Amino acid sequence: MAVIISVGGLTIIAAVIGMMVFIAKEAFPLFKAPSSASIGTFKQRPAQGLLLDESGKAVVLVSPREGMQVHRLPDGQLLSTIMDGPARPWRSQTPMQPRGDMLVQGLDGKLSLSTLKWVKPSGENDPAKWTLEPNWQGALTVQGEVKRLLHFRLSDGSGMGGAAMLRVVATTPSGLAWLESAVDETKPVVLNPIPLPSGLSATCALWNSDGRALYVGTQEGAILDFKMEGEPELLTRSEFGEPVTALGFTIGQTSLLVGGAKGKLAAYQQVRVNEVFQLQPFHAFPTLNGEVLGFSHSLRDKRFLAWTSTQVVVDHLTTERRLFSAAVDQTAQATIAPRGDLILVGSKDGQMRSWSLSAPHADVSQKTLWGKVHYEGYEKPDFVWQSTGGTDDFEPKFGMMPLVFGTLKGTLYAMLFALPLAIFAALYTSQFASPNLRNAIKPAVEIMAALPSVVLGFLAGLVLAPLFEKVAVELLLFPLTTLLCVLLLMPFWNRLPQKWRTIWGEGREVMWGIPLLILGLLLASQTGPWFERIFLGGSFRGWLQTAHGINYDQRNSLVVGFAMGFAVIPIIFTISEDALGSVPKSLTSASLACGASPWQTAWRVVLPTASPGIFSAVMVGLGRAIGETMIVLMATGNTPVMDWSPFNGMRTLAANIAVEIPEAPLHGSLYRVLFLAALLLFAFTFLLNTIAELVRQQLRKRYESL
Amino acid sequence: MKRFTQWLRRGNIFIWFSGTMLSLCLLMIVGLVGFIAVKGLGVFWPHALIQAQGPEGAVLGEITSFEAPLGTEPAKVQFRVGNRDIYGQDFKWFQASEIHGRQEPKDALLIERLENGTFIGRIQDISQDGQPIAKAEAAVEEVKRRLPATNKLQAQIRGIEKGAVGELNRKLEDCRQAMESAGSAEARTVLEQQQNSLQSRYNQLQAELDQLRTTAKTFTVTLLTVDGQTKEIPLSGIVRIVPANELSWFGKVRLYFSRLWEFVADDPRESNTEGGIFPAIFGTVMMVLIMSVMVVPLSVVTALFLREYAKDGLLVRATRVAVNNLAGVPSIVFGVFGLGFFVYSVGGTIDQLFYSSKLPTPTYGTGGILWASLTLALLTVPVVVVATEEALAAVPRNQREASLALGATKWQTIWNVVLPGAAPGILTGLILAMSRGAGEVAPLMLTGVVKLAPSMPLDGSFPFLHLDRKFMHLGFHIYDVGFQSPNSEAAKPMVFMTALLLLLVVVLLNLFALRLRRKLRARLGGSTF
Repeated sequence: MAVIISVGGLTIIAAVIGMMVFIAKEAFPLFKAPSSASIGTFKQRPAQGLLLDESGKAVVLVSPREGMQVHRLPDGQLLSTIMDGPARPWRSQTPMQPRGDMLVQGLDGKLSLSTLKWVKPSGENDPAKWTLEPNWQGALTVQGEVKRLLHFRLSDGSGMGGAAMLRVVATTPSGLAWLESAVDETKPVVLNPIPLPSGLSATCALWNSDGRALYVGTQEGAILDFKMEGEPELLTRSEFGEPVTALGFTIGQTSLLVGGAKGKLAAYQQVRVNEVFQLQPFHAFPTLNGEVLGFSHSLRDKRFLAWTSTQVVVDHLTTERRLFSAAVDQTAQATIAPRGDLILVGSKDGQMRSWSLSAPHADVSQKTLWGKVHYEGYEKPDFVWQSTGGTDDFEPKFGMMPLVFGTLKGTLYAMLFALPLAIFAALYTSQFASPNLRNAIKPAVEIMAALPSVVLGFLAGLVLAPLFEKVAVELLLFPLTTLLCVLLLMPFWNRLPQKWRTIWGEGREVMWGIPLLILGLLLASQTGPWFERIFLGGSFRGWLQTAHGINYDQRNSLVVGFAMGFAVIPIIFTISEDALGSVPKSLTSASLACGASPWQTAWRVVLPTASPGIFSAVMVGLGRAIGETMIVLMATGNTPVMDWSPFNGMRTLAANIAVEIPEAPLHGSLYRVLFLAALLLFAFTFLLNTIAELVRQQLRKRYESL
Repeated sequence: MKRFTQWLRRGNIFIWFSGTMLSLCLLMIVGLVGFIAVKGLGVFWPHALIQAQGPEGAVLGEITSFEAPLGTEPAKVQFRVGNRDIYGQDFKWFQASEIHGRQEPKDALLIERLENGTFIGRIQDISQDGQPIAKAEAAVEEVKRRLPATNKLQAQIRGIEKGAVGELNRKLEDCRQAMESAGSAEARTVLEQQQNSLQSRYNQLQAELDQLRTTAKTFTVTLLTVDGQTKEIPLSGIVRIVPANELSWFGKVRLYFSRLWEFVADDPRESNTEGGIFPAIFGTVMMVLIMSVMVVPLSVVTALFLREYAKDGLLVRATRVAVNNLAGVPSIVFGVFGLGFFVYSVGGTIDQLFYSSKLPTPTYGTGGILWASLTLALLTVPVVVVATEEALAAVPRNQREASLALGATKWQTIWNVVLPGAAPGILTGLILAMSRGAGEVAPLMLTGVVKLAPSMPLDGSFPFLHLDRKFMHLGFHIYDVGFQSPNSEAAKPMVFMTALLLLLVVVLLNLFALRLRRKLRARLGGSTF
């Protein structure tokens, strides 16, 4: 039996440790280094374009002479060859775009567009049974000679006449040129020159996501940004520092990737400066060996692949982390799979190599969690929490700082409210209250401790928040008016005969406190509108807005401070009262015998002696406030802002978990980051509780020795 | 001046100050509990229906709030006009100066409906199969006469839908799954026969239901709003007719209790903003009971280990630290652990081992009452451990020694003497744990509580107790209806009532525990010397 009991007792330790280990284990993979493995090599004729299937089981090699060849991965077995399309060998073709679009100039000089699509029978996993449809479209006759097709953009039908419009940028013998046409246009299309500033020669060009702007990289190291509505108009020019050799996008096409001749790699985005958009660098990546030749990006997250003739790397935009790097001789083409888990590299001698890449949480790093990060669409690096967005190309922002900040802010306001109340009330109860009163107060406080936080939160959010909004001034005046009442009435009280005061006063001050408070409340409600009119120009909210630029949110920190303070008062009260009440009688008696007044004894003798106990009470209270979920969830707007103002809300770690975890995909980055938040809460409260417990034990020893 | 500093130094004023702080605490407790009690208890009391002339024509409704003039804002009156389907909203604000000629018409009716909330107005006529059979006041009498039978019919329809049809659906689903995984042709034929018989029974029930539904639609009532708009609804869509201005005091009391009963015993309607909260009460009770079954053995064993078996040392201290910390860990962390460990890890494994035929639809691999109860059991362990320890320590030494002297083993002593002596203390701990469990919401949100559960965790279909089912909970109901509901203004009374109920449960449990503990202390205080 003893064994069973002992095992049973130890399960508690096991449960606590198990909980911590489990939560840590769920959060840990966030920080695992990305891993990659070579999964196969096969030999092929050199190809101009590569397109990996979503599943990573097949690849299409597009070559200007041999057509499109479908290979099984990783063994490289040839599955099929498609030879239709423009007359071969093609004169030029654009790089393959991640969703399988490609523009080709055939032998006859006509431009045709191909949109590669896999047709897979339902549930079929064998790539041999799939068919590839090239979906050739159009045969545009171009007036003028094309040297090299650089990039094209097919706008949806929202343009003129509802037809899909094709925009192409290409190099010609006389420089950079562009054309715009419907895909099925039969008349010849004119190539319009794009005038570059003198002395610059273009090396690469890229349309932006809607095709209304064109980015051009030059031999001289400038990145030009053209507005392409009507005549090309140069908007901005940014200096890159070395010849620009490749341009690319990450998913979403808001971040422009730029590669240089000496291996420099950076990301640019449009930032609004003085009301004008400018192309500015916002991420820099480790330099590569040699000239950057091209980019490819994943369709799942913000990772991208870049290659030079001797090196292939995969970097993540947000974290600037290098997920993969391999030295490959004579690289001709490289691509990353849509899911970002497979890399395929073709070299000039036809050697095709593939790697698997496992980096499920590439979007999280210590820096993104705790530091300022420059996100897409932001003007400067900032702490941001925004885990989900409306679109597939959303950049998740896992900055924990706003949440930690919110937690501290909520706790601070709750403590500001709760500490004086709880400690003075405990001091009074233990030192001055009559025994009968004490026996009545304790159960009342226990009931207060038992009130469900969801009820407090509901009251705070639906009743107090609208109320506070109306009577904010009165509320802030209330402590002052009450103090005023006490000060004004005290002299009268002191005039009363000593006998009355002893009978009605000592130990019963509490009962007089209630009418006093009500008096204070009345006074505050009467003076409030008057005060507001004279000092605040009639409206407190308007005054806040104009004089301090502070917005008054209805569900704000005052409300949270009040409700959460209400929740922690009984905890702090009970522990403090215990500590204060068990200060040995000998000490107080000695003090009183020396002629000290009761208050002097309480303040100078009892309070310092019990201060470790009060400290531990505060620690336990802090622990409770930090982890409180429902009150914060219901009484604030849950906006992760970083602002100390008591008149707006916050989002705490605990509330954040409650809001986000039901929607978080199992074992995704968000799921694990939320587990990390839980671990943080666990560790925080563990620390506070342990400190409190240790201090309390010390205190107990001290009392014993007295 | 000197007297003043003297007086200040002696510090009576500070005693007053700290006394006032305590008063404020007490005032807040009383204020909060009192506020919820008043608001909650007032929810079901019928109010007078006021008819008046507003700026856009006649207005009829209950006056729900009044705002005194504030600065430049004039005084405002809020009417609950009902008729959400006609006016688009239940409440309307008017400037007090715009409202003229208030009166309380005797014939004004408040009609509680199954759909679209309350109707406030009058009855124009009642028809049977499209033929009007009574008009105006006669129609009201007719409706009152026919309403009980129709309501009974409605209850019968709901009963069949929820009970027999639901169970048949489940059986059919099980059958279908069994057929998918059935190996031999014989098994398949048996299953097919079973399926056919179930299907025919199902069709039969559906036909029965259809007939009942047609009967329920026989009578239709045309309702007339105060501004002359009409709305035709089936008689079966009416829950209750309240001639609010004609009710006697006794009638109001009867109405109050009838509404209270509906609240406690009925299912919710209109996305939880009307009707009752029976499933939430039931779910809360079930969850707390399952939690109790799990928390007691674990806590008692731990307390026995700490008090009776372990020698004071590192292990005991570690256990104590563990218990203390368990008490301090935020409840949401328990929720996260419950979700990750119980739901995804344990539940996922159970699904793979025993319910693989149903995958990818999870059975235990999703939130359910079992996981919620387990999580809460973990959360409330410290409460019971502390209380049990105290109770064990209070069992008098002479009793144990007497038992041991009679030759009982240590375990026999514990089982027969110590534990019975400590039982009230354990019960105290358990009650406190139950009150904590009943009020906790955050961990439940992650481990299996839902806003509307289609079926109860305990019902008449085998195996009766469905530990994998999701459930409703009073605390979550408050959060959901008050904060997630699209029509939160109309739902407020329900939230107040639910909060009152939850508060009542928690406060009563606590008072009971406190009483028990005080008695226990008094008794043991007398017997230990």
